[in-house]
Amino acid sequence: MPPRGGGVVDASADTTPPRWREAPLLREEGRKHAVPMPSAVAVPAPVGRLASRELSRTRGIKRFKWTILAPLIALFAGVLLPVLLLQLYFSFHQWTIYLGAWHEADFVGLDIFKEVLTEPRFGWSILRSLAFALGSTIGCFLIGFGLAYLMHQPFRGQAVYYILFILPMLTVPIVVAYTAEMLLYESGPINDMISRVSGDQFKVAWLSNPDIALTTVMLLEIWNWTPFSFIIMLAGFASLPKEPLEAARILGANAWRVFWEVQLPLLRPVIFLALTLRFLEAMAEFPKIWALFQGGPGSATETIPVYIFLTTWQYFEVSKGAALSYVAMMLMIVIVLLVIRVLRREKRALDAMNVAVRRGE
Amino acid sequence: MTKSQKRRISTIVRYSILTFWALVVAFPLYWIVATSFKPSEQWFAWPAVYFPDPVTLDNYLDVWTGRQAIATAQYIISAQRPWIALGNSIMISFCATTLAVLYGAVIAYGVSRYRVLSDTRMFQLLMLRMIPPIVVVAPLSLYYSALGLLDTAFGLIMIYFLTSLPYAVWMIKSFIDEVPREVEQAAEILGAPRWRTLWEIVLPLVRSGLVATFLFILILTWSEYLLALILAKTEVVTLPVELSKYQGSTEGRVYGRQAALSVGITVPLIIVGLIIRKHLARGFSFGMIRR
Repeated sequence: MPPRGGGVVDASADTTPPRWREAPLLREEGRKHAVPMPSAVAVPAPVGRLASRELSRTRGIKRFKWTILAPLIALFAGVLLPVLLLQLYFSFHQWTIYLGAWHEADFVGLDIFKEVLTEPRFGWSILRSLAFALGSTIGCFLIGFGLAYLMHQPFRGQAVYYILFILPMLTVPIVVAYTAEMLLYESGPINDMISRVSGDQFKVAWLSNPDIALTTVMLLEIWNWTPFSFIIMLAGFASLPKEPLEAARILGANAWRVFWEVQLPLLRPVIFLALTLRFLEAMAEFPKIWALFQGGPGSATETIPVYIFLTTWQYFEVSKGAALSYVAMMLMIVIVLLVIRVLRREKRALDAMNVAVRRGE
Repeated sequence: MTKSQKRRISTIVRYSILTFWALVVAFPLYWIVATSFKPSEQWFAWPAVYFPDPVTLDNYLDVWTGRQAIATAQYIISAQRPWIALGNSIMISFCATTLAVLYGAVIAYGVSRYRVLSDTRMFQLLMLRMIPPIVVVAPLSLYYSALGLLDTAFGLIMIYFLTSLPYAVWMIKSFIDEVPREVEQAAEILGAPRWRTLWEIVLPLVRSGLVATFLFILILTWSEYLLALILAKTEVVTLPVELSKYQGSTEGRVYGRQAALSVGITVPLIIVGLIIRKHLARGFSFGMIRR
């Protein structure tokens, strides 16, 4: 056997079975795509050169790993860490931009946090955010799921509908907001069309009635992001293994029972994914609410992001904004950690399903 | 009822539901395009005007050639402004996206083949994207102003790079995971350094995945509004922020011009999105869904 430059070849190469050559790579990352290996044949490891090769390889991987991660760590240390520290500083020191240098601000301890936590306005903004996120997530999901169900088997015109249905997602949110303004004025096309269809005068003040404003943004969010739930659910339907469905049909189950007892349980991971990711995005929604309402009319659409924005950039109460941000961040971290827990669990289920599907193919 | 009748009814029901939703989707998009071609008295008409009559190109000419400067509360929207904003948007989103994809590909390779980040760390990386930017943007803007990065393209590029990194890593990893390892193993046996294996073997194999990831992140950075508004609203205006300036126009409502600019912002995005339509699910689910 001719020597191969720099490879795993040394004096023992001729006598070692070929599996030596793939062993190092597989040992490292053989967890997922492990090629079955005759592991029963335990070859006594030639000591000395091979062992040192293995050692230098491990070292090489370690160096590779830290080279890869260094910029990431630098980014965290250089951007995120100072920002979090600054935020902590401002939440404990009373400062607005009208005062002098920020580093000379008075230390006030937990006063600002107390003010923020006892403030009803902030409490309402949290409730509004949760209501907005929940409502729009459920709306997006139900419509998206329904559309995906209707489209998961091929039919004439499927591609056209698919392209049409994903368009809202590709529209810039701020454009969605201005389009809504052009559509929703009191005798605008939406009210006009509803009047024509229903027969009587329909005049809803979508944009100026405080009781409706939040619903208006919720509907916009649903219009904007139903494609998200739709494409995810469609992908979910496409990834379902075929065997259980066929088995159920052969056993005489009707479409309804196949859906409830076979498809839905198998889709659970995808459903969780669609719901949780959408919910988080909805909690962060800012452009549409800001462009249309700036939190108004009154404070009808003042969600957490809007309230923080108003406090910091309209009232210039930087410290209060920082404390608000901190509380909001803690809340979001709790939610995100819960979501991540769910995602990790469901991803495992998804991967298992993917493997099953691949095997079936 | 026979089976074929049943099937026909279900087909009719399906098409009517789908067509209804298609109309719901298409109407606002139609409206913005129609408004961009309407003369000013039809922008805000009572009752609403459904078809522009006469069709006019004035709005586009006003916006993109600056034929008519629009006085706003803060300043004049001059002839070059939309073009400057377009340039900024292109520059910032392309730079940030390129950085994110390049570095994301390196991390993704490391994670897929050498597990440089454990599962837990990978999910922690997602938090970068999942925590709303608003909760850190106030101190970030102060930090940026201390560093002199406020209102600079570089500052915005860095923050877009950071926030789109999780998408890049997760999405590219899902592509790399699908590549069989035999070739890399052969390369390693032949003694190729890991970086060369990455650049010359792995990345070319996932080229289409990289393009999809690039375009996907481009969509996100192109339409981002909040960070652009706070970190760079006066000097380095991006297109979405530029569009929001029309709101303060002293002329009152300038729907036609807003629409003309909106069309300019949205059309490239829709083209990009349709190119990668098969990969959108993968992108939005951080690569957790493969098809």
